[in-house]
Order: sequence, then structure tokens, then C-alpha cells
Amino acid sequence: MIYEISFRFEELELDEEFISRELGYPLDAMPEPFPFYLSEAQNLASSVNDIVGSYQLFEPSQFLTNGRSLHLKGVKLKPGKTITGELRESSHAALFICTAGKTISEEADRLLRGDDPVYGYVLNVFGSAIAEAVADRLQERIQAEAQAQGMQITNRYSPGYCHWDVADQHALFSLFEGKTGGVSLTPSALMHPIKSISGIIGVGSDVQYRDYHCDLCQMKTCMHRKM
Amino acid sequence: MSDLLNQLSECVEFGKVNKAAPFPPQMKGMDGADEITRQAIEQGVAAQDVLTKGLMPGMERVGVKFRENKVFVPQVLMSAKAMSTAMVHLKPFFASGEAKQKGTFIIGTVLGDLHDIGKNLVAMMLEGNGYKVIDLGIDVNTDKYLAALEEHPDAAVGLSALLTTTMANMERITQEIKAVYPNTLVTIGGAPVNADFSQKIGADYYAPDPQGVVEFLNKQTA
Repeated sequence: MIYEISFRFEELELDEEFISRELGYPLDAMPEPFPFYLSEAQNLASSVNDIVGSYQLFEPSQFLTNGRSLHLKGVKLKPGKTITGELRESSHAALFICTAGKTISEEADRLLRGDDPVYGYVLNVFGSAIAEAVADRLQERIQAEAQAQGMQITNRYSPGYCHWDVADQHALFSLFEGKTGGVSLTPSALMHPIKSISGIIGVGSDVQYRDYHCDLCQMKTCMHRKM
Repeated sequence: MSDLLNQLSECVEFGKVNKAAPFPPQMKGMDGADEITRQAIEQGVAAQDVLTKGLMPGMERVGVKFRENKVFVPQVLMSAKAMSTAMVHLKPFFASGEAKQKGTFIIGTVLGDLHDIGKNLVAMMLEGNGYKVIDLGIDVNTDKYLAALEEHPDAAVGLSALLTTTMANMERITQEIKAVYPNTLVTIGGAPVNADFSQKIGADYYAPDPQGVVEFLNKQTA
């Protein structure tokens, strides 16, 4: 079953540490105009109704892995050796698509391109935090479903990272039968609205969630290592 | 005169756009880049000096501070905003040829990638350091780079990527540009790439930060 859930901004808990880090100031000691911009971003986010997350859980009969690729309802995904390895103990899998919505993504883009790049950047950071918060909420639901059946979840993995080719998003999206929360793909597999995330979570009795582990990835110069 | 130019440098360095701007708090109520540039021109300071002795030193200091993690993206954007506000007053002088830019730089986020904050920072830093920037946007294929090069054959090119999976596109685009314009300088940047990768794909330079691109291009134009 495909779940497509709309979220109100107030239901989401944004990662304040992420926002603070991206803006370069502690949240309680930001100089103007950042508190004003954050308040504007919050007002905008509270008024939108296009923050959406979609997910579906695949049963063992619908999910196969052979160490190099995954097969979900017969659709082949090739997330690469690293991610496939991390999912190898999974008996089930969950796919998800989350978005902060068109309103915030397009407004951030418009401002960044001209009118007010600083507010645009604040909104851009805010949009990223919203998309991640939606993914967190979906992950909680998937975890709750897993735990109800005596299982655990893995970390979540997204195309574009750990050498998972973004082109695979066409296959991933095809499994949602149009219930993608308003997210679409360009021919080069980029998501619109921009502030969107897709990915996979492994589920099973012998899997575990780990703190973010950069040792998985070969990118020794990646910025995530500096965080 | 030099007092005005020093003040202008500080406005750019700290992102003081105009008198009404509340940022930065320590410069609240003071004239900003907008007013000071206008005053400098009214007092007869050459537009070239406003650019090279006022605006550029401020932007250079921001670039170095960003490299050293002493300021973050929003502060750089504030500085760029101060810079672009000042540049509005200089535009007529660029158009007349009285003030000259150092060269042209074509930049884009490569095909398959939509992350543009890093690319925008490089563009802003280069503009602030006296270069004309042609920004091709995101998800840029080889044809768009080649079309821009046809129009600006002396330009250098910058390729940006954030996703590990778009590194292959960066390699292909670099090689396709070099096949048509072998003497064009190609610089690359972005979280997943490094100097080894730059060498491997035949690019001319890898810059770990925006100021690195400025310094590389300054060496070429010196």
C-alpha cells in the first residue's frame, strides 16, 4: 500500500542544529536580519499545504537482493555495492519520497536568483530542514510498523549518495504509481520541487540503525566529513 | 579619497548594503556600499579605483575568511549583496570602457545536479573580484557550455557538482569542452571532487573554495 501523507509545518520538528550550522550563528544569538528572515520563513511554511511524504513497505515476496542490485515488485534498483551491502540483512524494504513543497522551493529559488539572496538562502536551508523533517516523520512511521512486527530498520539511503546513481530515481518513482506527493523528475532524474528527498530504508529482524557513518563512503573529501 | 575606499572595503567585507540595512549590527545607521560608492564617484574617484581599491579588497577578505571558516554562507551573500549594490553605480563606466573587468568566467552546475549554492558563491566571489560571470545555472550539459564559449571564446569555465554520481558527467563535459576548445581553462569544484580527480579528468584546476578560483584566475590574468 502506498501512503501519501500531507504534513502541517507545525507537526514537524526541524533540526535546529542544522539550521544554526548552515546560517553560521547560534539560534539564540543571530543578528538581524536573520531572526526576521527565519520568522518570515516560518510564516510562509505555516501557510503552505504542499509539504508531503509518500512511502510504501515491500514484503519479502516483493523484495529481493542479490548483493549488487535490489528488485522491488520486479523493478530493478542498482544502489551500488555499499548500500546494497547495508541492506543485505533486510527482509523487507521501504521506499519514500518527501518534499518541502513547491511553494518554499520556488520562493527560495526566486529569491536566491535576484531579489534577496540572503533570505533566499535562509529559505533554502529551511526547505532542506523541512524535507529532512518529513523524512524523519516517515522513518518513525516505518520504524513503528517494523517494531510492531518485531523488526528494526536500517539508516535511510538516497540516490546521489554512496555512488547510487540518481538515474535510478526513474525506477524508484515508477513504484509509486503517481502518488509521489507532487514530486516529479526531470529527464536527468532531478526532483522537482528541488527541496525533496527520496530513498530506501531496509527493514528486518537482523538489521540495525547506526549513527551516520562516513566510513561507508569512498568520498574522502566530502563536506559531510567536516560536520 | 582613500578613506572612502577603505570604508567601501569594510562595507563589502561586513555586508553593509546601505544606510537603512540593519546588518551588520556594529555598522547600524552608518552609510553602506550604496551611499559610499555614490559619494566616491561624485568626488571624482575613478570607477576603476572604486572597483580595484574599494570593492575588490573587501571581497577578497571575505573570501579568505570563508576559506578559514571565520564566516559562513549568509555573510558571504551579504557581502555579495553589498558588492552588487555598489556595482550598479559602476555599470555605466563598464559600458563606456572607462572601467574594465579582468576577464570572463562561465560557470554552471553540471548535468544531473541541481545544487547551486557553492556555484553561486564562486560566481559572486568572482564578480566581486572584477570578473564578468556568465552563470548557466544548474543541470548544465556540454552544449550549453559550448554555446557560451562560442560567444565568449576567451572565457575560463567552472564546473560544479555536489553529488558523487554526477562526477562522471563532470568528466565527460570537461573532455567535450577540451575537444573543441583545448586552450580553455577548466576549473572544477564541489564536495565530492579533489585535485586528483581534476587531474584525472583533464581539468586545469581544482579549487576547494571560491577564493581558490579567484586566486587561480588572477594568476592567469596577471
